[in-house]
This record gives sequence, C-alpha cells and structure tokens, in this order.
Amino acid sequence: MECQTKRNATPRVVVLGLASCFGCQLQITNAESHLLEILGQIDVQYWQMASSAPEPEGDVDVVIIEGAVSTVESREIVERWRKRAKCLIAMGACAVCGGIPSIAAHHLDERAKSVYGDALPSACGEMLVPQPVSSVVDVDFEVRACPIDPADFVAVMQHAIYGSNATVQTGTLCGSCKRNESGCLWREGKVCLGLVTQEGCGAKCVQLGRECNGCRGLSANANLSAARAFAESTSVGAARFDEALELFNLVNPMLSSISEGEE
Amino acid sequence: MRTTLSMHHIARIEGHGNISLSIEDGRVSDVKMNVVEPARLFESMVGGRPFTQTSYIASRICGICSSSHVITDLLAIEQIFGVKTSERTRVLRELLVYGSFLQNHAAHLFVFAAPDFEGLDSAFPLAESAPELFNGGMAIKALGNELCTLVGGRSIHPITCVVGGFTHEPSRDDCLAMADKVAAAREFCEKTVDVFAGFKVPQIETSGDFMALVENGRYCVVGDTAAFASDGARFVAADYADHIEEYAVDHSAARFSRRASTKKNITTSALARVNLSWNELSQPARLAAAKAGLRPPARNPFLNNVAQAVELVDVCVRCEAMLRWLAFGEGTSKPVDFEVRAGRGVGMTEAPRGTLIHELEIGEDGRVKHASIITPTVHNLGDTESSVRTLADLLAEQGASEEEIRLEVGKLVRAYDPCLSCSVH
Repeated sequence: MECQTKRNATPRVVVLGLASCFGCQLQITNAESHLLEILGQIDVQYWQMASSAPEPEGDVDVVIIEGAVSTVESREIVERWRKRAKCLIAMGACAVCGGIPSIAAHHLDERAKSVYGDALPSACGEMLVPQPVSSVVDVDFEVRACPIDPADFVAVMQHAIYGSNATVQTGTLCGSCKRNESGCLWREGKVCLGLVTQEGCGAKCVQLGRECNGCRGLSANANLSAARAFAESTSVGAARFDEALELFNLVNPMLSSISEGEE
Repeated sequence: MRTTLSMHHIARIEGHGNISLSIEDGRVSDVKMNVVEPARLFESMVGGRPFTQTSYIASRICGICSSSHVITDLLAIEQIFGVKTSERTRVLRELLVYGSFLQNHAAHLFVFAAPDFEGLDSAFPLAESAPELFNGGMAIKALGNELCTLVGGRSIHPITCVVGGFTHEPSRDDCLAMADKVAAAREFCEKTVDVFAGFKVPQIETSGDFMALVENGRYCVVGDTAAFASDGARFVAADYADHIEEYAVDHSAARFSRRASTKKNITTSALARVNLSWNELSQPARLAAAKAGLRPPARNPFLNNVAQAVELVDVCVRCEAMLRWLAFGEGTSKPVDFEVRAGRGVGMTEAPRGTLIHELEIGEDGRVKHASIITPTVHNLGDTESSVRTLADLLAEQGASEEEIRLEVGKLVRAYDPCLSCSVH
C-alpha cells in the first residue's frame, strides 16, 4: 500500500461529502477527546463542513469520502480525487456498500418523478443509480457502518498514515453475540442480519434489543444461501430476510456476486 | 453597473449550497440560494416498505437531527395505529431530542459559527487562541453525544427508539450521573450566551413569519400544535397542509415552503421557539437571554446564534429534571402492544433547527403508501434568500467591498444554521 507519506512530512488530508446525511463527518468531530490529537498529526487541506479554506491545488496523501455516488458530477469528483490522492478511504455505509441511498436504485426515474413531478430541478444534477465508491474507483481502506464509530475511523487513519499489519475482521456478527452471550433475536421472530453481516461493532444493536440490519455490509465469510435457507425454515421466511437485507445492501457488489454465483 | 457575487459551496454548514447575488447600481437585483445536493428521494424510499423500516430509513436524512426524524416518524405511525405511549416514553423521547439540541447547537456555535467572529477559517485554531471556549464547546457537544447514547444507544441514528416505546432503558445510576453532568454544564452555557451576544452583528430584521410548536405550560419540542408569531394563528399537525405550502424552484434541489394563507416566508429556528415560547423558558434561560438583550420579538436572524445558546441553558435545566424523574419515577417505556391498521398520520416535532413535519399514509398491510416530509431548512430557505437581500442592500449602501459582503453573507447564511442535506431529503 503506497499510502504512507515521506517520513516527517505531515500527511495532507481532504474530506469530501457526497450524497449522505453528513453523519459520518460529524462522527469524526464526535471523537472530541481525541480530535486535536488526530488533527495534530495531519494537515486538513479541505473540509467544506468544518472549514472555509478553499479547495487546494495539487496532490494530497489521503482523501476521505463520505456518501454514495449518485450523480454524474459526484462520479467525476471521485474520479478526480482518486487521481490526486495516494490513498482513498471510503467512510460509512453509503460510501462502502451503497447504504440507505441505494434503496432508490430500482425505478430511479419513477421515484424522482414521485418526489419532484415532471420537472426535476437542474440543481439536482444528472442522476445515477446510487452506488458505492468502490464501483467507480479503487478504494484502499474502508470505515464501515452507519454511522461509523469514531474509534474505527481513528484505527483506519492510523493504518493509512503509519501502516499496520493488523488484519481486517471478516467474521459475521453472530460470533459477537455468542461472545456476548446475549441470546438470539431470531427466537423472538426478529429478522436479525447478524447471520451475514460483517462483525466489528460488538453487536451493539442486538445488545440493546434491536435486530442487526446489516449496516456494516456483508461479511466476506457470509454464507448467504445457508442464511436464506434458515430464514425460510422459520416463520420469517426468505422473502422478509431478503427485504431486510435491502436496507443497506441493495447494490452491494458482494450481494450481486453471491447471487450470480448461485445462478 | 452590475456585479454578480457567487459564493460556491458555503463552508461550515451541513450540505452543499451556493449563493448567487446580483447587485445593480448599488441595489441587490437578485438573490438565489442554490441548493446543489443530489436528489435523495427519501419520500419514495420509505414508500412500499414496511412501517418497521420507516424511521430507520428516515433517520438517515440527517446525521445531526436523526433523533428528530425518528421520533417524528414514530408519532405519525402511532397516530395511525392509535398507539398510546407512556409518560416515560415521552420523557425519554424528549431527552433524545434535547440530546440532539446539545449536539447541534454546540457544533453550530463552536465549530461552524465561532470562527466567523474570530476571523478564522475553522474552529481548530481556537483550541490555542481561545482554549476555554473551544474545550468548553467541545465538552457540550460531547455531553449531547453522551445523552443521545445513553437514551438512544449511540450518538446519532438512535437504536432503541421504536413504535410504542423503547427497546432498552438507561439504569437509574446512569440517569443520576447524567443529571449531575448536565447540571454542571449550565454555567458554561450561560457564559456562551454572553459570548455570542457580545459578537458584533449587522442590524437587520427578517420579514419572515416565526413558526414553532407551542403548548401551554411547556417549552414544546414534541407536541401536536404549531403557531405563527405574526397573528398567533395555531394549527394541529394533521392540518399542516392547510397552513404550509411547498413549492419547487429550478435553482434548488430542495423545495421551498411558505405560509399558505399569506404566501409569506416562514422562519423556524431556536430564535422562533424563544420568541413563541418565551414564557415557557426555564427561569435561568430567560434570565440569561434577558441579560444578553434578547427579548421577544427578536427579529434579527443573526440572533439565532444567541437563541441557540439560550436553549443550551434551558436544555441543561430541563434535562436534569427529566433525568432525575426517570431515575425515581414509576412506569415503563417497554413498547406497548398495537395492531397494524390503515390510515394517515402526521408527526410534528421541534428539531434543533426548527419545525419538522412527517406525514405518512400506511396501508392495511403495514406498508407505507405515501410519505411527505418537510424539514426546518425547507421552511427557512425563502427567508434566507430574503434576509441575504436585506443584508447585501444594507452593505452595498454603506459602500462595503465585495469581500466584506461575501464574508457577512456567509455569516448570515450560517446563522440560519441550514441543513442542506436535510432539505434535500
């Protein structure tokens, strides 16, 4: 990974927001007690949400992108910054796997019509089916979840700037619940996506009585067909399982490659 | 002579927007607030999906007021199903809304607005030049995150908040510890009122009609009745469409809204709430406001900064009381049983930036048939354009340079605390 800058040079960092709720950018500032330590180690050259310093010229070391790519303009922004950055980080579910914006992927034109009528304001730009950043350019690092955990952000930044040989977790969330000894929400008839979702959040939602809805994206180890078969064997059924999975993963390339593999 | 000032990507706000301003012979001839967010289509995205997913999806309209979007949806759904929630649930929901007030107002005042008055690009240099202000502000923001996490399970996009109640409640000890923390934060918030009241701002007045939720005997953030300040007219959530109309403009991906009967711009914000619910503010908050010279009707949009600081004081007082009540109060917030039925419902809350409305129609199968959402910034866009015109006229008349106009207009737009990502939902 060629992300590390020359030793002793402060890494130049840019933060960009595409179609998103800005929540993951806020989560960076929500690392309040560590924020200055993080900012002290980088040179934030452009961050529209937090600074009125204008967009810089030239190359940078790290570009952090929040949001899904949902217009031609945002695709161009991503392509342009990919060329200018040594290292690109996709931050949050929208950027990593399409996330909530991708729910609009099917019947996009009809949806736009239902909201704006026949005259889509030109200010909306030229719409594309919402997709993850990785479907447009190469992504070096991911900070998963909706919203991101500030601690995950710090860990990924450390990885990008200083390097690390720590491996990325790839197991499913079910393992976290086993370790938490928290029982299983499927017993209560809830459609919990921990079966196939990438671990790493500590199964926070399940701990608080709420089913996992897959915001960290699919685990590389997910056995989707077994999970669907299991859902089908319960009162939930595979259709409800699939619908739940659409919440964050409708255009997740992993999901389509898995289903293509099955066909 | 005609000059066009265009301000691309106004910084230190949530979302993407430009202002274009034309000045002809010393008078402003045109102002456009150009909201350039990609279309996000949330109203269509909740459509066809089960009501259990609605608040989860709508939460993602906005990172900072996610709690408000969730609760507003739940109110609409509960209206349709005829769900009566407990007093405990109501208190927990208010705490969640107030947690987002702390987050929003602290982020806006200290990260977005304060650099304007210190001549800085961002808040980060404040850590050295004004450490007490910066650290104190960050602490208030962290307190808001902590309160949201205590009640909702995490700082944004709450987990525990569902139709009928909560899936998890904080422990008595945690409530009491949090009550002590919010009580201790009040003093700094009172100072914050003085700090922002001390910043010099241009003297302009909005022509917008202030709108906020109101309730006799309560500073209302979760309720069902809103009022306009100009004539005191009130309406209930279900009738909102008779009083507020939305319209589309080509230069903005966000729609604008106005008062239906008068076609006048609406303005909704902390300032609107303080103006409309002045008598319901807690005594320390009212005192801090009065000391700072903020009294209703305060019509200068720049005073929204001061009003947010006043609300910080109010939130500390109110949350302490609610948290102590939770610690020793009876009852439960366990989700109540309900039956799914078809119908239409409207939820209305005060989000940190103003009145938020969610209208939902649900079919017998429990799926959303239709959704309509109006966010505070949608109400405010027309008034923002109008106030930018007033300000630029004043500055042009005084012979201000383009650079000065640019700076002051940026400050004014930020004073409205717009959430442009919210406005394009």
